[in-house]
Amino acid sequence: MRKLGILLAVAVGLMGLAQTPKLGGELVIAFGTDPESLDPNKITSAPAGMVLTHVAETLLTMDENLEIRPLLAQSWKLAEDGRSLTLYLRKGVKFHDGTPFNAQAVKDNLERFRKATYAFLLFPRVQTIDIVDEYTVVLNLDMPFAPIVSHLTHNFVALVSPKQIAEVGDKEIMDPVGTGPFKFDKWVRGEYVRIVKNPDYWGDKPYLDAVKFLVVPSDATRLVLLETGQVHAIMRVPPLEAPRLRGVKGVEVVKLPSVRTIYIAFHYQRAPFTDVRVRQAFNYAVDKEAIVQTILGGVGGVSDAPIMPLIFGYAKQNPYPYDPEMAKKLLADAGYAKGLKIKFYHPTGRYMMDAAIAQAVQAYLRDVGVEVELITMEWAAYLAFLRKPLEESGFDMFMLGWGCVTLDADYGLFPLFHTSEWAPKGSNRSFYSHPTVDALLEQARVTVNYEARKALYADLIAFLWQDAGWLFLHYEEQINAQRTTAKGLIHHPREYILAHKAWLDR
Amino acid sequence: MIQYAIRRLLLAVPTLLGVSMLVFGILRMLPGDPATALAGVHATQEVVERIRAEHGLDKPIHLQYLGFMKDLFRGNLGKSIRTALPVTTEVVSRLIPTLELTAVSMVLAVLLGVIVGVISAAKPYTVFDYGSMLGALVGLSAPVFWLGLMLMLLFSLQLGWLPAAGRGDFRHLILPSVTLAASSVALIARFTRSTMLEVLRSEYIATARAKGLRESRVILRHALSNAMIPILTIIGLRFGALLSGAVLTENVFAWPGVGRLVVDSISARDYPVVQGAVLMIAVSFVFINLVVDLLYGVVNPRIRYD
Repeated sequence: MRKLGILLAVAVGLMGLAQTPKLGGELVIAFGTDPESLDPNKITSAPAGMVLTHVAETLLTMDENLEIRPLLAQSWKLAEDGRSLTLYLRKGVKFHDGTPFNAQAVKDNLERFRKATYAFLLFPRVQTIDIVDEYTVVLNLDMPFAPIVSHLTHNFVALVSPKQIAEVGDKEIMDPVGTGPFKFDKWVRGEYVRIVKNPDYWGDKPYLDAVKFLVVPSDATRLVLLETGQVHAIMRVPPLEAPRLRGVKGVEVVKLPSVRTIYIAFHYQRAPFTDVRVRQAFNYAVDKEAIVQTILGGVGGVSDAPIMPLIFGYAKQNPYPYDPEMAKKLLADAGYAKGLKIKFYHPTGRYMMDAAIAQAVQAYLRDVGVEVELITMEWAAYLAFLRKPLEESGFDMFMLGWGCVTLDADYGLFPLFHTSEWAPKGSNRSFYSHPTVDALLEQARVTVNYEARKALYADLIAFLWQDAGWLFLHYEEQINAQRTTAKGLIHHPREYILAHKAWLDR
Repeated sequence: MIQYAIRRLLLAVPTLLGVSMLVFGILRMLPGDPATALAGVHATQEVVERIRAEHGLDKPIHLQYLGFMKDLFRGNLGKSIRTALPVTTEVVSRLIPTLELTAVSMVLAVLLGVIVGVISAAKPYTVFDYGSMLGALVGLSAPVFWLGLMLMLLFSLQLGWLPAAGRGDFRHLILPSVTLAASSVALIARFTRSTMLEVLRSEYIATARAKGLRESRVILRHALSNAMIPILTIIGLRFGALLSGAVLTENVFAWPGVGRLVVDSISARDYPVVQGAVLMIAVSFVFINLVVDLLYGVVNPRIRYD
């Protein structure tokens, strides 16, 4: 599966390389929502990250093959004890305002991150930042934290000019000054963000003169815009539109993995889900394959781990087969031969086909004697509902998605299963708690050795699978589409379309 | 007349105060708050609390309201929680495209609606009359998102005459304003027709005809002027409806208007922006109503404002 993802991403990239790239032109990409901000300290969404990554670069990066690669740091070294990370910086790089990139610039940026409201990805762990010389910095951590390397690749941890940091003070950055191949040009809120070529880029210079990110909220409108050629690439094509779009001349449909897992969590501290047999029964009762094939139109895959296959630490399990008889038997063993009643909360319109999937789950469970009451809420209300502490929690089951944006199992599992992360503090909203799981999660976090970490996650995932902490559903895929005249675009699993090396065959 | 205008504007103050109070209250009654909405699914409690503190959301609600009112009287609507931009900047920059769209659709609706209505009334129970009234029924009933998409498919995808969506030159305005105008054209046409029919039955029209005036003069000069008052009322009301009802059109045509801003801001529980936008829409509405009321006097000099 990992290979497949790589091939998909590379294939699109390679198509551009077969011809000699042409210089110039403005490429237009349409997405659904306006970035909330372009300040690395404030951004929280994929659209914002996608724009920013063209302008402001990170120390390390995760390429389209999901390998960690150097970017502004040429190389890095995680200490044996996992308590510090040394970064060797690239020389001769300048920010768009001419300020040189060096150790001080890194320190200024990371210090700013520590004060940020949203930078929860990275900076609970970093205690101090030492400048060794002009091009070497050391991040000292409060405890061993192996995932720090992948956290540093995340586009939210992008660096801007120290001069700009000094200028804005406590205020928010509106026009990021980075080191990227493109410079920020203009942002008309609700309409578009435009970036232009940086002719002084330190790496391979971009072919395009400019890239425009157009905000188009309606799915149908994005399709029309692509078909008329008004835009060159669009995101989030509705799954049911993909087959038709494949037949349109001059349009290419790109299916690629996403890092988001969709799950249904059981209230782990409350009957009936305190009994592992009930949790397993629910897993047997639902036909995940049918959901993925019919409701999602094949745009996704049945979960065979709580994280999807491209994430570091993934260990394949056997999905619970669809077996209603087994489910009934387990429920009877647990003392629910006469059936039971539960409340199931789910969002509507947040994830692909979420409400339809919830209804399917309800129907499958009815077949094994479980009466499910479906309750849906508007998204912000839903988030607030699920952030209540144990005593106030009001659900039996709920559906949610988790994008493991760092592509490291720590971020895909720790916040969701560790006892210290119980809501409202963290994201363990189902109050999952098991000493074995806690111990393995903690150990994996402080283990620096690659293979040893992998083995720990394999044990952990196997345990979680048996324990059936969730009703394991599926991971999402994404469908983008582009004009065939747009070459060299990279469709990235982090829900980005990257135009760094793109060009227009006009 | 000027005195009347001033009195009306003063009367608007309590109205706007009421609006502000209502919006403030309703927003806070919604489950969920900006901090949880903004921080999203990945956030920790620490982040949520930091956002709350940063925006004063941890203070008691009456203090929040007092702070809001104090700023309001200084003409300060606060800052967006989501984007950190001043609310005034954000709302004005999004109100302009909406006003642009609304104004063009209104002109379109009035011209087309009145012309069709007058012709239908002048030639009642003819093919034109039945045809246009059927058309009006369709225009009134067609959902905006459907109509918009159909126009887009026809004029952009099939014929390639017009850009499908987005804001730009005048050509970008055509499809969204036609879409937005459709229901108003229909309403105004039907209303004009029925008012005109009524007026055409009155005695002074018979007199006008009897003194040998040309039919076109009878209809335009004598009948239409008198039919204009109720038509103006409808136009005023429609303007308000268009202003707030543009959100669907804005969505379909990726038009960066204030309707979309309000909807997005409600989803994000961005209190200051919703408050600011609703207030500004209310102000526009009050102003438009005033203009309509003043126009009554222009259309019919018998109306006096004292």
